[in-house]
Amino acid sequence: MDLFSVAILLLASLIIFVIIQYNRLVRLNVQVDEAFAQIEVQLKRRADLIPNLVETVKGYAAHEREALENVVQARAASTTASTLPAIAAADGALTNALRGLLAIAEAYPDLKASSNFLQLQEELASTENKVSFSRQFYNEIVRRLNTAVKTIPTSVFVSLAKVGEREFYEVEDPSAQNAPNVKFE
Amino acid sequence: MANFRSIQTANRRKTFLLLFFMGLLVWCIAYIAVVSFGGSGAGVIPLAVGISLISVWGSYYASDKLVLKMTRAKVIEQSDHPQLFNLVNEVCIASGLPMPKVAIVEDPAPNAFATGRDPSHALVAFTTGLLNSMDRDELQGVVAHEMAHVANRDTLVSAVAATTAGVVALISDILMRMLWFGGGRNRDHGGNQMPIFLAIIPLILAPIAATMLKSAVSRKRESLADATAVSFTRNPAGLRSALEVLARDTTVVQARSSAVAHMYIESPLDASAASRLFATHPPIAERIATLRKMESNPEFNQ
Repeated sequence: MDLFSVAILLLASLIIFVIIQYNRLVRLNVQVDEAFAQIEVQLKRRADLIPNLVETVKGYAAHEREALENVVQARAASTTASTLPAIAAADGALTNALRGLLAIAEAYPDLKASSNFLQLQEELASTENKVSFSRQFYNEIVRRLNTAVKTIPTSVFVSLAKVGEREFYEVEDPSAQNAPNVKFE
Repeated sequence: MANFRSIQTANRRKTFLLLFFMGLLVWCIAYIAVVSFGGSGAGVIPLAVGISLISVWGSYYASDKLVLKMTRAKVIEQSDHPQLFNLVNEVCIASGLPMPKVAIVEDPAPNAFATGRDPSHALVAFTTGLLNSMDRDELQGVVAHEMAHVANRDTLVSAVAATTAGVVALISDILMRMLWFGGGRNRDHGGNQMPIFLAIIPLILAPIAATMLKSAVSRKRESLADATAVSFTRNPAGLRSALEVLARDTTVVQARSSAVAHMYIESPLDASAASRLFATHPPIAERIATLRKMESNPEFNQ
Protein backbone atom coordinates (compact mmCIF):
# COMPACT_ATOMS: atom_id res chain seq x y z
CA MET A 1 0.00 0.00 0.00
CA ASP A 2 1.44 3.36 -0.93
CA LEU A 3 1.58 6.41 1.27
CA PHE A 4 -1.35 8.10 -0.46
CA SER A 5 -3.85 5.31 0.21
CA VAL A 6 -2.68 5.10 3.82
CA ALA A 7 -3.39 8.82 4.19
CA ILE A 8 -6.83 8.42 2.60
CA LEU A 9 -7.63 5.52 4.92
CA LEU A 10 -6.53 7.46 8.00
CA LEU A 11 -8.54 10.49 6.95
CA ALA A 12 -11.63 8.37 6.30
CA SER A 13 -11.44 6.68 9.71
CA LEU A 14 -10.92 10.08 11.37
CA ILE A 15 -14.05 11.43 9.67
CA ILE A 16 -16.06 8.35 10.71
CA PHE A 17 -14.80 8.77 14.27
CA VAL A 18 -15.88 12.42 14.39
CA ILE A 19 -19.30 11.56 12.94
CA ILE A 20 -19.87 8.85 15.57
CA GLN A 21 -18.98 11.16 18.49
CA TYR A 22 -21.00 14.04 17.08
CA ASN A 23 -24.06 11.84 16.48
CA ARG A 24 -23.84 10.34 19.95
CA LEU A 25 -24.03 13.78 21.56
CA VAL A 26 -26.85 14.97 19.31
CA ARG A 27 -28.80 11.74 19.79
CA LEU A 28 -28.52 11.95 23.59
CA ASN A 29 -29.64 15.57 23.50
CA VAL A 30 -32.70 14.64 21.45
CA GLN A 31 -33.43 11.75 23.82
CA VAL A 32 -33.41 14.18 26.75
CA ASP A 33 -36.06 16.26 24.97
CA GLU A 34 -38.13 13.13 24.29
CA ALA A 35 -37.85 11.99 27.88
CA PHE A 36 -38.95 15.41 29.07
CA ALA A 37 -41.92 15.32 26.71
CA GLN A 38 -42.85 11.96 28.26
CA ILE A 39 -42.86 13.54 31.75
CA GLU A 40 -45.19 16.27 30.47
CA VAL A 41 -47.51 13.70 28.89
CA GLN A 42 -47.76 11.81 32.18
CA LEU A 43 -48.24 15.00 34.23
CA LYS A 44 -51.07 15.95 31.88
CA ARG A 45 -52.67 12.51 32.29
CA ARG A 46 -52.55 12.92 36.03
CA ALA A 47 -53.97 16.44 35.88
CA ASP A 48 -56.85 15.10 33.77
CA LEU A 49 -57.67 12.44 36.35
CA ILE A 50 -57.88 14.87 39.25
CA PRO A 51 -61.26 16.59 38.61
CA ASN A 52 -62.89 13.15 38.55
CA LEU A 53 -61.12 12.18 41.77
CA VAL A 54 -62.06 15.42 43.51
CA GLU A 55 -65.73 15.01 42.52
CA THR A 56 -65.77 11.42 43.76
CA VAL A 57 -64.20 12.31 47.11
CA LYS A 58 -66.53 15.33 47.51
CA GLY A 59 -69.51 13.04 47.21
CA TYR A 60 -68.49 11.18 50.38
CA ALA A 61 -66.27 13.61 52.26
CA ALA A 62 -67.26 17.13 51.24
CA HIS A 63 -66.16 18.61 54.55
CA GLU A 64 -62.52 17.63 53.99
CA ARG A 65 -62.28 21.05 52.43
CA GLU A 66 -58.58 21.65 53.11
CA ALA A 67 -57.27 18.46 51.52
CA LEU A 68 -59.53 18.92 48.49
CA GLU A 69 -58.55 22.56 48.15
CA ASN A 70 -54.84 21.62 48.31
CA VAL A 71 -55.20 19.20 45.43
CA VAL A 72 -57.17 21.65 43.28
CA GLN A 73 -54.64 24.42 43.91
CA ALA A 74 -51.63 22.19 43.29
CA ARG A 75 -53.21 20.98 40.05
CA ALA A 76 -53.81 24.56 38.91
CA ALA A 77 -50.20 25.47 39.73
CA SER A 78 -48.88 22.46 37.84
CA THR A 79 -50.77 23.31 34.65
CA THR A 80 -49.31 26.83 34.52
CA ALA A 81 -45.67 26.02 35.35
CA SER A 82 -43.35 26.39 32.34
CA THR A 83 -39.67 26.20 33.32
CA LEU A 84 -38.15 22.86 34.32
CA PRO A 85 -37.56 23.74 38.01
CA ALA A 86 -41.08 25.21 38.26
CA ILE A 87 -42.65 22.13 36.66
CA ALA A 88 -40.69 19.87 39.00
CA ALA A 89 -41.68 21.88 42.06
CA ALA A 90 -45.38 21.92 41.07
CA ASP A 91 -45.19 18.19 40.34
CA GLY A 92 -43.77 17.51 43.81
CA ALA A 93 -46.44 19.66 45.47
CA LEU A 94 -49.23 17.88 43.59
CA THR A 95 -47.81 14.46 44.48
CA ASN A 96 -47.90 15.45 48.15
CA ALA A 97 -51.40 16.96 47.97
CA LEU A 98 -52.69 13.78 46.30
CA ARG A 99 -51.06 11.63 48.91
CA GLY A 100 -52.74 13.72 51.61
CA LEU A 101 -56.15 13.36 49.98
CA LEU A 102 -55.79 9.61 49.54
CA ALA A 103 -54.70 9.24 53.16
CA ILE A 104 -57.92 10.99 54.18
CA ALA A 105 -59.95 8.74 51.87
CA GLU A 106 -58.79 5.82 54.02
CA ALA A 107 -61.12 7.04 56.78
CA TYR A 108 -64.25 6.77 54.59
CA PRO A 109 -65.25 3.15 54.03
CA ASP A 110 -68.20 4.14 51.79
CA LEU A 111 -65.88 6.13 49.55
CA LYS A 112 -63.31 3.34 49.42
CA ALA A 113 -66.00 0.86 48.45
CA SER A 114 -67.57 3.01 45.72
CA SER A 115 -67.05 1.59 42.24
CA ASN A 116 -66.00 4.96 40.87
CA PHE A 117 -63.24 5.27 43.47
CA LEU A 118 -62.04 1.70 42.92
CA GLN A 119 -61.71 2.37 39.21
CA LEU A 120 -59.85 5.62 39.90
CA GLN A 121 -57.54 3.86 42.34
CA GLU A 122 -55.88 1.67 39.68
CA GLU A 123 -55.66 4.60 37.26
CA LEU A 124 -54.11 6.84 39.93
CA ALA A 125 -51.66 4.18 41.11
CA SER A 126 -50.59 3.58 37.54
CA THR A 127 -50.38 7.26 36.65
CA GLU A 128 -48.37 8.02 39.77
CA ASN A 129 -45.92 5.26 38.75
CA LYS A 130 -45.81 6.54 35.18
CA VAL A 131 -45.01 10.05 36.42
CA SER A 132 -42.20 8.85 38.65
CA PHE A 133 -40.82 6.40 36.05
CA SER A 134 -40.77 9.11 33.40
CA ARG A 135 -38.83 11.37 35.82
CA GLN A 136 -36.42 8.53 36.53
CA PHE A 137 -35.92 7.77 32.82
CA TYR A 138 -35.36 11.46 32.09
CA ASN A 139 -32.72 11.70 34.82
CA GLU A 140 -31.03 8.54 33.53
CA ILE A 141 -30.72 10.03 30.02
CA VAL A 142 -29.54 13.38 31.44
CA ARG A 143 -26.94 11.45 33.45
CA ARG A 144 -25.73 9.75 30.24
CA LEU A 145 -25.63 13.04 28.33
CA ASN A 146 -23.81 14.90 31.11
CA THR A 147 -21.28 12.09 31.39
CA ALA A 148 -20.71 12.22 27.61
CA VAL A 149 -20.33 16.01 27.75
CA LYS A 150 -17.67 15.70 30.45
CA THR A 151 -15.70 12.64 29.24
CA ILE A 152 -13.25 12.12 26.39
CA PRO A 153 -13.71 11.57 23.44
CA THR A 154 -17.23 13.02 23.25
CA SER A 155 -16.27 16.09 25.31
CA VAL A 156 -14.04 17.28 22.46
CA PHE A 157 -17.05 17.64 20.15
CA VAL A 158 -19.37 19.44 22.58
CA SER A 159 -19.00 22.84 20.97
CA LEU A 160 -19.21 21.39 17.46
CA ALA A 161 -22.49 19.64 18.26
CA LYS A 162 -23.77 22.68 20.20
CA VAL A 163 -24.79 20.36 23.04
CA GLY A 164 -24.25 21.02 26.73
CA GLU A 165 -25.05 19.58 30.12
CA ARG A 166 -28.75 19.48 30.95
CA GLU A 167 -30.64 19.97 34.19
CA PHE A 168 -31.82 17.02 36.26
CA TYR A 169 -35.51 16.83 37.09
CA GLU A 170 -35.48 17.11 40.83
CA VAL A 171 -38.62 16.89 42.89
CA GLU A 172 -38.14 18.82 46.12
CA ASP A 173 -39.95 16.50 48.47
CA PRO A 174 -37.49 13.77 49.48
CA SER A 175 -40.22 11.20 50.10
CA ALA A 176 -41.49 11.69 46.54
CA GLN A 177 -38.12 10.64 45.17
CA ASN A 178 -37.64 7.35 46.92
CA ALA A 179 -41.24 6.23 46.77
CA PRO A 180 -41.88 5.34 43.15
CA ASN A 181 -44.43 2.74 44.17
CA VAL A 182 -47.45 4.39 45.64
CA LYS A 183 -49.90 2.05 47.24
CA PHE A 184 -53.53 3.02 47.28
CA GLU A 185 -54.78 0.03 49.20
CA MET B 1 -21.59 -3.88 46.67
CA ALA B 2 -25.12 -5.00 46.11
CA ASN B 3 -26.02 -2.30 43.67
CA PHE B 4 -27.89 -3.07 40.46
CA ARG B 5 -25.32 -1.30 38.31
CA SER B 6 -22.41 -3.40 39.61
CA ILE B 7 -24.46 -6.59 39.31
CA GLN B 8 -25.39 -5.70 35.72
CA THR B 9 -21.75 -5.06 34.81
CA ALA B 10 -20.58 -8.31 36.41
CA ASN B 11 -23.20 -10.41 34.60
CA ARG B 12 -22.51 -8.77 31.24
CA ARG B 13 -18.80 -9.51 31.66
CA LYS B 14 -19.48 -13.13 32.61
CA THR B 15 -21.79 -13.62 29.60
CA PHE B 16 -19.07 -12.32 27.34
CA LEU B 17 -16.49 -14.67 28.88
CA LEU B 18 -18.81 -17.68 28.59
CA LEU B 19 -19.58 -16.93 24.94
CA PHE B 20 -15.85 -16.54 24.36
CA PHE B 21 -15.25 -20.01 25.85
CA MET B 22 -18.00 -21.41 23.66
CA GLY B 23 -16.27 -19.97 20.61
CA LEU B 24 -13.02 -21.50 21.80
CA LEU B 25 -14.76 -24.85 22.14
CA VAL B 26 -15.94 -24.63 18.52
CA TRP B 27 -12.36 -24.01 17.42
CA CYS B 28 -11.10 -26.97 19.46
CA ILE B 29 -13.64 -29.37 18.00
CA ALA B 30 -13.00 -28.03 14.48
CA TYR B 31 -9.29 -28.53 15.09
CA ILE B 32 -9.83 -32.12 16.13
CA ALA B 33 -12.02 -32.71 13.08
CA VAL B 34 -9.34 -31.45 10.73
CA VAL B 35 -6.37 -33.05 12.46
CA SER B 36 -7.76 -36.52 13.03
CA PHE B 37 -10.15 -36.86 10.12
CA GLY B 38 -8.37 -34.88 7.41
CA GLY B 39 -10.35 -33.57 4.46
CA SER B 40 -13.61 -35.30 5.32
CA GLY B 41 -13.42 -33.88 8.85
CA ALA B 42 -12.96 -30.37 7.48
CA GLY B 43 -16.02 -30.86 5.29
CA VAL B 44 -18.13 -31.56 8.37
CA ILE B 45 -17.57 -28.06 9.78
CA PRO B 46 -19.50 -25.96 7.22
CA LEU B 47 -22.24 -28.60 7.23
CA ALA B 48 -22.65 -28.37 11.01
CA VAL B 49 -22.50 -24.57 11.03
CA GLY B 50 -25.08 -24.45 8.24
CA ILE B 51 -27.56 -26.79 9.90
CA SER B 52 -27.19 -25.10 13.27
CA LEU B 53 -27.57 -21.60 11.84
CA ILE B 54 -30.68 -22.48 9.85
CA SER B 55 -32.41 -24.31 12.69
CA VAL B 56 -31.66 -21.76 15.41
CA TRP B 57 -31.99 -18.52 13.44
CA GLY B 58 -35.26 -19.51 11.87
CA SER B 59 -36.77 -19.88 15.30
CA TYR B 60 -34.99 -16.74 16.50
CA TYR B 61 -36.46 -14.66 13.73
CA ALA B 62 -40.02 -15.90 14.22
CA SER B 63 -39.68 -16.40 17.96
CA ASP B 64 -42.68 -14.25 18.92
CA LYS B 65 -45.01 -16.22 16.63
CA LEU B 66 -43.55 -19.69 17.28
CA VAL B 67 -43.64 -19.31 21.03
CA LEU B 68 -47.30 -18.28 20.95
CA LYS B 69 -48.07 -21.65 19.36
CA MET B 70 -45.79 -23.70 21.60
CA THR B 71 -47.06 -22.27 24.86
CA ARG B 72 -50.71 -21.74 23.85
CA ALA B 73 -50.43 -18.07 24.81
CA LYS B 74 -53.11 -15.64 23.59
CA VAL B 75 -52.30 -12.03 22.73
CA ILE B 76 -54.65 -9.70 24.62
CA GLU B 77 -55.95 -6.15 24.24
CA GLN B 78 -55.92 -3.36 26.81
CA SER B 79 -59.58 -3.95 27.68
CA ASP B 80 -58.94 -7.64 28.50
CA HIS B 81 -56.71 -6.79 31.45
CA PRO B 82 -56.31 -3.04 32.03
CA GLN B 83 -54.07 -3.46 35.08
CA LEU B 84 -51.59 -5.72 33.29
CA PHE B 85 -51.47 -3.25 30.40
CA ASN B 86 -50.89 -0.40 32.84
CA LEU B 87 -48.03 -2.33 34.45
CA VAL B 88 -46.36 -3.10 31.12
CA ASN B 89 -46.84 0.51 30.05
CA GLU B 90 -45.24 1.76 33.29
CA VAL B 91 -42.16 -0.40 32.77
CA CYS B 92 -41.94 0.77 29.13
CA ILE B 93 -41.83 4.36 30.39
CA ALA B 94 -39.17 3.46 32.96
CA SER B 95 -37.02 1.68 30.37
CA GLY B 96 -37.70 3.71 27.23
CA LEU B 97 -38.70 0.50 25.39
CA PRO B 98 -41.59 0.38 22.91
CA MET B 99 -44.82 -1.27 24.06
CA PRO B 100 -44.56 -5.04 23.42
CA LYS B 101 -47.34 -7.48 22.60
CA VAL B 102 -48.88 -8.78 25.82
CA ALA B 103 -50.18 -12.35 26.06
CA ILE B 104 -51.85 -14.53 28.65
CA VAL B 105 -51.39 -18.29 29.03
CA GLU B 106 -54.31 -20.22 30.54
CA ASP B 107 -52.36 -22.12 33.16
CA PRO B 108 -52.75 -22.37 36.95
CA ALA B 109 -48.97 -22.45 37.49
CA PRO B 110 -47.58 -18.95 38.05
CA ASN B 111 -44.97 -18.13 35.43
CA ALA B 112 -44.06 -15.59 32.77
CA PHE B 113 -41.75 -15.24 29.79
CA ALA B 114 -40.53 -12.80 27.17
CA THR B 115 -39.41 -13.36 23.60
CA GLY B 116 -39.05 -11.64 20.22
CA ARG B 117 -36.06 -10.94 18.01
CA ASP B 118 -35.76 -7.26 18.99
CA PRO B 119 -37.54 -4.76 21.25
CA SER B 120 -40.00 -3.78 18.51
CA HIS B 121 -41.05 -7.42 18.00
CA ALA B 122 -41.16 -8.25 21.69
CA LEU B 123 -43.80 -10.40 23.33
CA VAL B 124 -44.31 -10.75 27.07
CA ALA B 125 -46.61 -13.45 28.39
CA PHE B 126 -48.02 -14.22 31.83
CA THR B 127 -49.91 -17.25 33.07
CA THR B 128 -53.35 -16.80 34.64
CA GLY B 129 -51.89 -18.46 37.74
CA LEU B 130 -49.34 -15.67 38.04
CA LEU B 131 -51.91 -12.90 37.55
CA ASN B 132 -54.15 -14.45 40.22
CA SER B 133 -51.50 -15.06 42.85
CA MET B 134 -49.68 -11.72 42.95
CA ASP B 135 -50.38 -8.19 44.11
CA ARG B 136 -49.61 -5.07 42.08
CA ASP B 137 -46.03 -4.61 43.33
CA GLU B 138 -45.16 -8.26 42.75
CA LEU B 139 -46.62 -8.22 39.24
CA GLN B 140 -44.67 -5.06 38.53
CA GLY B 141 -41.47 -6.91 39.52
CA VAL B 142 -42.29 -9.79 37.17
CA VAL B 143 -43.22 -7.45 34.30
CA ALA B 144 -39.94 -5.57 34.84
CA HIS B 145 -37.96 -8.84 34.83
CA GLU B 146 -39.54 -9.84 31.50
CA MET B 147 -39.02 -6.40 29.99
CA ALA B 148 -35.40 -6.59 31.22
CA HIS B 149 -34.95 -9.68 29.02
CA VAL B 150 -36.26 -7.60 26.10
CA ALA B 151 -33.95 -4.68 26.93
CA ASN B 152 -30.92 -6.98 27.29
CA ARG B 153 -31.68 -8.71 23.96
CA ASP B 154 -31.74 -12.11 25.62
CA THR B 155 -33.49 -13.84 22.72
CA LEU B 156 -30.45 -12.90 20.65
CA VAL B 157 -27.95 -13.94 23.33
CA SER B 158 -29.60 -17.33 23.79
CA ALA B 159 -29.78 -17.80 20.00
CA VAL B 160 -26.04 -17.20 19.78
CA ALA B 161 -25.42 -19.65 22.64
CA ALA B 162 -27.75 -22.24 21.10
CA THR B 163 -26.09 -21.94 17.68
CA THR B 164 -22.63 -22.43 19.13
CA ALA B 165 -23.69 -25.36 21.28
CA GLY B 166 -25.49 -26.80 18.24
CA VAL B 167 -22.36 -26.56 16.08
CA VAL B 168 -20.29 -28.39 18.71
CA ALA B 169 -22.93 -31.09 19.17
CA LEU B 170 -23.35 -31.63 15.42
CA ILE B 171 -19.63 -31.84 14.66
CA SER B 172 -19.10 -34.30 17.51
CA ASP B 173 -22.08 -36.36 16.45
CA ILE B 174 -21.08 -36.58 12.78
CA LEU B 175 -17.45 -37.38 13.65
CA MET B 176 -18.52 -40.11 16.08
CA ARG B 177 -20.59 -41.70 13.30
CA MET B 178 -17.64 -41.45 10.93
CA LEU B 179 -15.50 -43.22 13.52
CA TRP B 180 -18.10 -45.94 13.83
CA PHE B 181 -18.59 -46.55 10.12
CA GLY B 182 -15.02 -46.67 8.93
CA GLY B 183 -13.12 -43.74 10.29
CA GLY B 184 -10.04 -45.95 10.35
CA ARG B 185 -9.19 -45.36 6.75
CA ASN B 186 -7.50 -42.04 7.40
CA ARG B 187 -4.77 -43.78 9.31
CA ASP B 188 -3.04 -44.75 6.07
CA HIS B 189 -2.58 -41.18 4.93
CA GLY B 190 0.55 -40.24 6.76
CA GLY B 191 2.26 -39.38 10.00
CA ASN B 192 0.92 -35.91 10.86
CA GLN B 193 -2.53 -37.15 11.86
CA MET B 194 -3.49 -37.64 15.46
CA PRO B 195 -4.25 -41.25 16.38
CA ILE B 196 -8.00 -41.53 15.93
CA PHE B 197 -8.79 -43.08 19.33
CA LEU B 198 -7.41 -39.97 21.02
CA ALA B 199 -10.23 -37.98 19.39
CA ILE B 200 -12.97 -40.03 21.07
CA ILE B 201 -12.67 -38.47 24.51
CA PRO B 202 -12.94 -34.84 23.38
CA LEU B 203 -15.76 -35.84 21.03
CA ILE B 204 -17.73 -37.17 24.00
CA LEU B 205 -16.88 -34.31 26.34
CA ALA B 206 -17.26 -31.34 23.99
CA PRO B 207 -21.07 -31.46 23.58
CA ILE B 208 -21.48 -31.85 27.35
CA ALA B 209 -19.23 -28.85 27.95
CA ALA B 210 -21.14 -26.87 25.32
CA THR B 211 -24.47 -27.62 27.00
CA MET B 212 -23.07 -26.63 30.40
CA LEU B 213 -21.74 -23.35 28.99
CA LYS B 214 -25.09 -22.67 27.31
CA SER B 215 -26.89 -23.21 30.63
CA ALA B 216 -24.38 -20.97 32.40
CA VAL B 217 -25.10 -18.19 29.87
CA SER B 218 -28.81 -18.60 30.58
CA ARG B 219 -28.24 -18.36 34.37
CA LYS B 220 -26.15 -15.20 33.99
CA ARG B 221 -28.87 -13.63 31.83
CA GLU B 222 -31.46 -14.40 34.53
CA SER B 223 -29.37 -12.68 37.22
CA LEU B 224 -28.80 -9.80 34.83
CA ALA B 225 -32.54 -9.52 34.15
CA ASP B 226 -33.23 -9.35 37.92
CA ALA B 227 -30.73 -6.49 38.29
CA THR B 228 -32.03 -4.69 35.20
CA ALA B 229 -35.59 -5.07 36.49
CA VAL B 230 -34.53 -3.24 39.66
CA SER B 231 -32.93 -0.52 37.54
CA PHE B 232 -36.38 0.01 35.96
CA THR B 233 -38.59 -0.08 39.06
CA ARG B 234 -36.05 0.80 41.81
CA ASN B 235 -38.11 -1.55 43.91
CA PRO B 236 -36.24 -4.81 44.62
CA ALA B 237 -38.84 -5.72 47.25
CA GLY B 238 -41.56 -6.23 44.62
CA LEU B 239 -39.57 -8.72 42.55
CA ARG B 240 -38.19 -10.42 45.65
CA SER B 241 -41.66 -10.98 47.02
CA ALA B 242 -42.82 -12.24 43.58
CA LEU B 243 -39.97 -14.78 43.56
CA GLU B 244 -41.01 -15.87 47.05
CA VAL B 245 -44.53 -16.53 45.73
CA LEU B 246 -42.99 -18.59 42.90
CA ALA B 247 -40.75 -20.47 45.32
CA ARG B 248 -43.71 -21.39 47.54
CA ASP B 249 -45.75 -22.53 44.58
CA THR B 250 -45.59 -26.19 43.64
CA THR B 251 -47.84 -26.37 40.59
CA VAL B 252 -45.96 -27.10 37.38
CA VAL B 253 -46.53 -25.39 34.05
CA GLN B 254 -48.76 -27.64 31.93
CA ALA B 255 -47.38 -26.90 28.49
CA ARG B 256 -43.85 -27.42 29.75
CA SER B 257 -41.11 -28.38 27.41
CA SER B 258 -37.37 -28.10 27.69
CA ALA B 259 -37.41 -26.22 24.38
CA VAL B 260 -38.91 -23.15 26.03
CA ALA B 261 -37.68 -23.70 29.62
CA HIS B 262 -34.98 -21.04 29.40
CA MET B 263 -37.53 -18.33 28.69
CA TYR B 264 -39.59 -18.55 31.84
CA ILE B 265 -39.00 -16.39 34.91
CA GLU B 266 -38.78 -19.56 37.00
CA SER B 267 -37.70 -22.89 35.57
CA PRO B 268 -40.90 -24.75 34.58
CA LEU B 269 -39.10 -28.10 34.78
CA ASP B 270 -38.72 -30.30 37.80
CA ALA B 271 -35.71 -28.97 39.69
CA SER B 272 -34.42 -32.37 40.73
CA ALA B 273 -34.28 -33.59 37.13
CA ALA B 274 -31.49 -31.22 36.22
CA SER B 275 -28.29 -30.89 38.13
CA ARG B 276 -27.05 -27.40 38.98
CA LEU B 277 -24.57 -27.34 36.10
CA PHE B 278 -27.32 -27.88 33.54
CA ALA B 279 -29.94 -25.63 35.16
CA THR B 280 -31.20 -22.75 33.00
CA HIS B 281 -32.00 -20.63 36.08
CA PRO B 282 -29.99 -19.74 39.20
CA PRO B 283 -31.48 -21.26 42.36
CA ILE B 284 -34.46 -19.12 43.35
CA ALA B 285 -33.16 -18.75 46.94
CA GLU B 286 -29.97 -17.22 45.59
CA ARG B 287 -31.94 -14.72 43.48
CA ILE B 288 -34.05 -13.77 46.51
CA ALA B 289 -30.88 -13.29 48.60
CA THR B 290 -29.35 -10.97 45.95
CA LEU B 291 -32.51 -8.86 45.82
CA ARG B 292 -32.58 -8.68 49.62
CA LYS B 293 -29.04 -7.34 49.55
CA MET B 294 -30.17 -4.65 47.09
CA GLU B 295 -33.07 -3.79 49.41
CA SER B 296 -30.80 -3.36 52.40
CA ASN B 297 -28.43 -1.15 50.43
CA PRO B 298 -29.73 2.40 50.95
CA GLU B 299 -28.04 3.59 47.76
CA PHE B 300 -29.69 1.05 45.50
CA ASN B 301 -31.75 3.70 43.76
CA GLN B 302 -28.93 6.09 43.00
